[in-house]
Amino acid sequence: MVAKVYCGLSGGVDSALAAALLVEQGYDVTAVYMRNWSRDLPGFRCPWAQELADAERVAVTLGIDLEVWDCEAEYKATVVDYLVDAYAHGYTPNPDVMCNQTVKFGTFLERALDAGADFVATGHYGRVERSADGRVRLLRALDEHKDQTYFLWRVGEEALARTLLPVGEIRDKAEVRRMCAERGLGVENKPDSDGICFVGPVGIRTFLLDSLERRSGDVVEWETGRVLGRHDGAFLFTVGQRRGLDLGGGPARYVVNTDVEKNVVYVTADHDSPALFCREVTLEDVRWISGEAPVGGRYLVRTRHTGELREAELDGAVLRFEEPVRRVAPGQSAVVYDGVRCLGGGIVTK
Amino acid sequence: MRDVYLDYAAATPVDPEVTAAMLAYLTERFWNPSAPYAHAREVRDDVERARGTVARLIGARPDCLVFTAGATEANNLAFAAVEGHVVVDAIEHESVLACAATHARRTVRVGPDGLVDPAAVARAIRPDTELVSVELANGEIGCVQPVRELSRVVAAERARRLEAGETTPIYLHTDASQAAGVLSVNVATLGVDLLTLSAAKIYGPKQVGVLWASEEVRLRPLVYGGGQEGGVRSGTENVAGIVGFARALELACERRAEESRRLAGLRERLREALLARVPDMVVSGPKNPKRRLPGLLHVAFPGVEARRLVIALERRGVSVGTGSACAASRMRVSHVLEAIGMPRALAEGSLRLTMGRGTTEEDVDYAANAIAEAVCAEVSRRTVHASSIVAPDRKN
Repeated sequence: MVAKVYCGLSGGVDSALAAALLVEQGYDVTAVYMRNWSRDLPGFRCPWAQELADAERVAVTLGIDLEVWDCEAEYKATVVDYLVDAYAHGYTPNPDVMCNQTVKFGTFLERALDAGADFVATGHYGRVERSADGRVRLLRALDEHKDQTYFLWRVGEEALARTLLPVGEIRDKAEVRRMCAERGLGVENKPDSDGICFVGPVGIRTFLLDSLERRSGDVVEWETGRVLGRHDGAFLFTVGQRRGLDLGGGPARYVVNTDVEKNVVYVTADHDSPALFCREVTLEDVRWISGEAPVGGRYLVRTRHTGELREAELDGAVLRFEEPVRRVAPGQSAVVYDGVRCLGGGIVTK
Repeated sequence: MRDVYLDYAAATPVDPEVTAAMLAYLTERFWNPSAPYAHAREVRDDVERARGTVARLIGARPDCLVFTAGATEANNLAFAAVEGHVVVDAIEHESVLACAATHARRTVRVGPDGLVDPAAVARAIRPDTELVSVELANGEIGCVQPVRELSRVVAAERARRLEAGETTPIYLHTDASQAAGVLSVNVATLGVDLLTLSAAKIYGPKQVGVLWASEEVRLRPLVYGGGQEGGVRSGTENVAGIVGFARALELACERRAEESRRLAGLRERLREALLARVPDMVVSGPKNPKRRLPGLLHVAFPGVEARRLVIALERRGVSVGTGSACAASRMRVSHVLEAIGMPRALAEGSLRLTMGRGTTEEDVDYAANAIAEAVCAEVSRRTVHASSIVAPDRKN
């Protein structure tokens, strides 16, 4: 019997091609549009009606069913509330990492399996390798510039075993668009979506100020302790940030640290200040895709989506870099690779 | 591939004669009607001539007309004239329902064919009711409301108040935007106190509308400024739009009788062709041809999603609507279909097919074939799919 796949269809280019390729490979494909939480205020509106219409156009063109699944409650609880709570405590989280773990490869996968699916699929740039010994591994996408394994490190092997990522096998994004155009899917000219989808065009600052209490505090010079100005809440700032500091002119200044308890933002005018660099990061909430921690030793590490892969020594929950690297904001993911293979990672502590 | 447009209730192309009438006011006759020199007085006269034309065609006095930026604004203006209780029916256009929501109100239910029962309106009227608003023809299922009978209901209430020495006024408003191309919109014949028209539905430009109000009604402005339109609607007159509107209404009145007959013929041709190919198709709206718009066919296909049909049809060059445009973008079942008691599943399989001046018999035949094919393809896809699903074992 033909394997049954539930493919997440977002209305974008990548998932459209994923669905098309699966249909061509002979799978019995059902498309699912996951309706996530969006704020119903002026300026906050995610254009989901338009996205759904695009997804529908793709489904009709491919001659497959499109179901709309309401994932609002899970999304709100595990992604939006998590994001706000993390910021309130002085962290800079990656909501996409949580969305993948709890919604796309959580709720969506569970509901699909309940509905009789053999696999789920998405348009993520990543590759799932199934080896002869029955183990399943996550590899970086062929297109290194679009690789999204940085957001997939919390998806366990069990979930990956049920996952197909057809787009990860394609050389580059231009090829993806060309293949969409060839198939008449009507989405090939849509722009890449970046940033946090539910925040929309207003930006994270406006979003946070709508969710958290504005709290005026001091901006303090790191080296001297001198008060340089005021801010609207330390939770709005993140290590290394330059923009959004309203200090009335003067040299560019960078956030060195934030203290959400005392509500102080520390800054420096020195772009090369040692306080902006670190030699090691300590991880919490560590997860390994295989379920087993890798042996200590040298691995490749990425601390930012599509950021540079750097060599580091893994020692328990500590990553030691060869040479000083720019400080990583607490709450960000550090993802560990062995060659092209994504092993897992952790959340950077304060 | 043929390109067939079947959504004239959403938008009509501007008639070449209308474009010709408007063109001069977009180019050399650009003057501001309020300016003091001779050229400006000329365009002021042209605006007044256009006002006179519209007034004559609806049987009204020119000074009782207010040009607006479309029917939605005209409806808003009508509701702003009263402060008290209002009565509307459940299948009014969003602009009327939204205005009614700002007043104390009673929403009258409609029958399964969408028609308003005048007796129900009579029961809904309270001693403090100041406005009754019922659309002349509904743009989604095409029912033509008994506005004349409603005017008798309102007149009876007015007589009762006079008798009882009550001074609260009561007015009847009708939005005739969807009707003007095919039905008479004479205010005296209809017996209304306020009437809305839109140029955009009668082969005129978008964003031009008019509100007629009888001398009894005191309109209150929503847009303040230079005091144009008798102080009720400030802002420099949309001269080209107003002139185009007048020409469009003239053409509509000239061609009304013949065009209505022709459209009714096309509608029947489409209905029969579709019914022959898809026997379980459900046709909505009143059975009586006098009670429905001649060029509108509302159909529903059980077990099929209309949103998918729209896409499949667009690929065959056929543009159709699924209901009022606002409802479609919000991904919920139209309030009109809900109000006539159509089951949700059937409502989701509904298409609104509207024909107009550009529609030919060949268009209708092509569209009927394309729709039937698209429906059959969807039905067979779903059947194949359903049969391939193996019933899961029930362990408990």
